[in-house]
Amino acid sequence: MTAERYLELQLDDVLRDLAAGGGAPGGGSAAALTLAFAASLVVMVARSSESAWPEAPGVAAQALALRDRAAVLAEADAEAWGDALIALAGAESGGDPRRDFALEQHLSRAAEVPLEIAALAADTAALAAVAADRCDGAYRADAVAGAALAAGAASASAHLVQVNLAVRRDDPRLARAQAAARAAWEDAQRALDTAR
Amino acid sequence: MTRPPATSDAELVRRCREGDRAAWDLLVERYSRYVYGICVRVFRLPESDAEDVFQEVFARVFARLDTLRDEAALRPWIAQLTRRLCLDTLAGASRERPSPEPVPEEVEAALEELDDAFAVREALARLPEPCRELLDRFFARDQSYRTISAELDLPAGTIASRIARCLRKLRLELEGRSGSEAPSRE
Repeated sequence: MTAERYLELQLDDVLRDLAAGGGAPGGGSAAALTLAFAASLVVMVARSSESAWPEAPGVAAQALALRDRAAVLAEADAEAWGDALIALAGAESGGDPRRDFALEQHLSRAAEVPLEIAALAADTAALAAVAADRCDGAYRADAVAGAALAAGAASASAHLVQVNLAVRRDDPRLARAQAAARAAWEDAQRALDTAR
Repeated sequence: MTRPPATSDAELVRRCREGDRAAWDLLVERYSRYVYGICVRVFRLPESDAEDVFQEVFARVFARLDTLRDEAALRPWIAQLTRRLCLDTLAGASRERPSPEPVPEEVEAALEELDDAFAVREALARLPEPCRELLDRFFARDQSYRTISAELDLPAGTIASRIARCLRKLRLELEGRSGSEAPSRE
């Protein structure tokens, strides 16, 4: 499937795309879309807390920017993974160095996008933790939910980087993705602690 | 540290009328992107036509600045001049090769968007340097909190709150209320 403008689609169409056979969009796009939901929750929490929290509009603006970037990455991942799948299918016959090189390029790109999603997820979890700490208490649970969703998206993306055939164990991209996932979980835990 | 306040348009006009060369340079610098933006983004002129209009606008501003009655109305005056010259250019071009006329509602919406962008740019220029840097890195360069923290040597956990405070200052600048804010560390 080619990349689509997810923000312009009906939710039902997005879910149908994800459920369709073929492999792309797959886990990376789903993680990015989860992230877009998490960021949207932070926007809602911040906007609902403006009367008691002077920095709330600034937090909402950042969360909106993160949401838009997540939607772009959802498309980018579908496209990168779709290209990688085509290259993988073409390489099954084997024995062509040029095709092997092209396959490696496609797989590498397919690892870059989830790495970007993991970094974005860490930012979203950090922002959600700030919101959980400072927001109107009536909306704290939504901020905590946003942080947890972002942490889940970060872990999923880090896993996709790890299993990508082009990423070796000592690849710095893997270390960066895992660091982002750890940071996201720490922030999610911090957000959960505010609710106790 | 806060930068000295930017010269107001009214002050700029007064200085230009007195023959202050530096003020003319400042006027062109302040409005060059704006004029070019109207040509290219609002009226979608080709680059060569946009450059012609650009030159003509500033030539007319230079020649007719004395006719501007309200010194503070420099921006709408320049916008009006640019708009008229763009329409003349489009009319001239369509005589040679017919093309669809610009839709007035779309032109108005694009002009409004450009005015907003110009206002934000002006307000940004009045913010302290650390704030401008933070907002530019996050919103224009799409940098992550982690990258910003590493490159500016700031604690990672404070970046989101710092950006939020800077946005608050920007909002106050846009509303013309920056003087009422208490000083902060930003």
